[in-house]
Amino acid sequence: MIWVTWRQHRGQAIACLAVLAALAVYAIIEGTSMRSAFSSDGLAGSCLARTQGIGCENGIGAFMDKFGTVVNISFWSVALIVPGLIGVLVGGSLIARESEYGTWRLAWSQSVPRARWLAVKLGLVTGGLIVLGAAMTAVITWYRAPMDRLTGRMQHNVFDFEGLVLTAYILCAFGFAVLAGLLIRRSIPAMIAAFIPWLAIRLIVEFVFRDQFLAPLTTAMAASCHTQAGCGSGIGVVPQSVLPQSTGRIGDLVLGSKPGNLVSYQPADRFWPFQFIEAGIFVALAAAALGATILLLRRRAAWSA
Amino acid sequence: MTEHDAGSGVPALRAERLGRRYGKVWGLRDCTLEVPVGAVAALVGPNGAGKTTLLEMIIGLLKPTEGQVSVFGETSRAGTAGTLARVGYVAQDHPLYRDFTVADMFHLGHAMNPSWDQKLAVARVDALGIPLKRKVKSMSGGQQAQVSLTMALAKRAPLLVLDEPVSSLDPVARLEFMRDVMASAADTDLTFLISSHVVSELERICDWLIILANGHVQLAGPTDGLLAAHQLLTVPRDTPGAELPGTAIHRTDSDSPSYRHSTVLVRTGADQPAARSRPGWQVDPVSFEQLVLGYLQHQSTPMTHDDPAQAAQRPRPSTKEFTR
Repeated sequence: MIWVTWRQHRGQAIACLAVLAALAVYAIIEGTSMRSAFSSDGLAGSCLARTQGIGCENGIGAFMDKFGTVVNISFWSVALIVPGLIGVLVGGSLIARESEYGTWRLAWSQSVPRARWLAVKLGLVTGGLIVLGAAMTAVITWYRAPMDRLTGRMQHNVFDFEGLVLTAYILCAFGFAVLAGLLIRRSIPAMIAAFIPWLAIRLIVEFVFRDQFLAPLTTAMAASCHTQAGCGSGIGVVPQSVLPQSTGRIGDLVLGSKPGNLVSYQPADRFWPFQFIEAGIFVALAAAALGATILLLRRRAAWSA
Repeated sequence: MTEHDAGSGVPALRAERLGRRYGKVWGLRDCTLEVPVGAVAALVGPNGAGKTTLLEMIIGLLKPTEGQVSVFGETSRAGTAGTLARVGYVAQDHPLYRDFTVADMFHLGHAMNPSWDQKLAVARVDALGIPLKRKVKSMSGGQQAQVSLTMALAKRAPLLVLDEPVSSLDPVARLEFMRDVMASAADTDLTFLISSHVVSELERICDWLIILANGHVQLAGPTDGLLAAHQLLTVPRDTPGAELPGTAIHRTDSDSPSYRHSTVLVRTGADQPAARSRPGWQVDPVSFEQLVLGYLQHQSTPMTHDDPAQAAQRPRPSTKEFTR
């Protein structure tokens, strides 16, 4: 069955490697130039570490003018849908293609029960997607490293590509698409039917629930912000100049200001707890979809009627 | 395969009151039949008669709503390895993976079947002149059918089920495919169950006949016995049904002006002595095709020329009477 799975999915595996290679080429080119600019603008030195950004405004401004839009906005916009696309493209055809070509009668009439056939395929393909997700995360994390020094990793458009969540997004889209493929029995409609709820859940979790995973903290606004108009809010898309931040610490996710010069925020060190919570949500959705698929396939009649 | 000895009395296939419902509609109901070991059985019926439903329950793809199937004495349980391994299956339109080569298909067969016979598979496509490196999508329909049959044979299952194996093939490929099935049946002690709505394809190779229509078994038994138990009468048009011997299965009235007559397919048997010719009557043996067509029409059009009392008494042809 391992050979059968590999033979049926090797085309997809090669396509995924091509996507990863393209991402790596882009990341190396853009990331290298970002690194050298980061050093030459005087940001890599002691300025950031010592002052939390105060006094580095010129360097930060020049760096952000050059890279901020591309790295924080354009890349985010494209990469937002990529995990979903990968997941539905791989998952949508896994069962539906057997229906479209009638090969389920062949596949399920060999001596391997169909539930085991599905379990082996799902296990191996899921493993492949985890490897892919981890590799993409590693590439993006390396690429963004200089930018992350300025923005921290709690900002929405950073959080989405680092740590665990990218892989979890892929798995969730994959699970939805496999289930849709069993129910709809046509690859393309299954992919569409899986992608739409995936994107909806993905955006709702990001913009409605994520900021509230743990109760926000409140702190007094940094003294430097009383006199300066440009304190970073850090909500949504990272502004051109985020430093100094209104909490006074790089990397905090500022949610809003409150009367009396207070700000509510999620501290930078909640990155990993938040990653586990969000990844957990999407992995649970994926597991529910895949579990339902196996149960339905075991119980349901053949597809002749 | 010696454990499936014909003398042991265990049939290759037995269905008992088998039924399958799709929503509110019964695809097959109250199906009881047996096929003995070594038989080449034809399953005949119009499209939508329930043939594929019956076959899918036999091979373990479909779970019966009621009743059960047993293959060589062991009850089939849908989707279990034991049941799947006992039956080789060539599905309608012989599906294969289009981007696989023949060698890939055999690799799959080997990976998914514990008793796979790679030598047999390779020797068979070799004899047919199909290269192992050829992709499925570049093969003709006839070659794809042959690769499907090869995979079913190499599975080394004692019962082979072929669902409409030639319906998508051209006449030459049909002939060659059926000739190969016949050769396999002669060379081995395999039991075959072949469904088709093309009667002429089956006549030459089948020694067991099952007629299915409207989700019910109309007739089942050894071909020779069934042919001997039916006759074709040509009688004057006004002969009442009550005067006909045996049980009238199907009656065709001819309005030819020169000789207004009826042709009647009748079933006779142990309790119903064979028809003897009377003046003005003609009694003929029935052919395979006439027998099948008679039963298929019997089920589709009620015999309006019978008097109602006679029609009510007429027993519905049931499987059990003809199963030996």
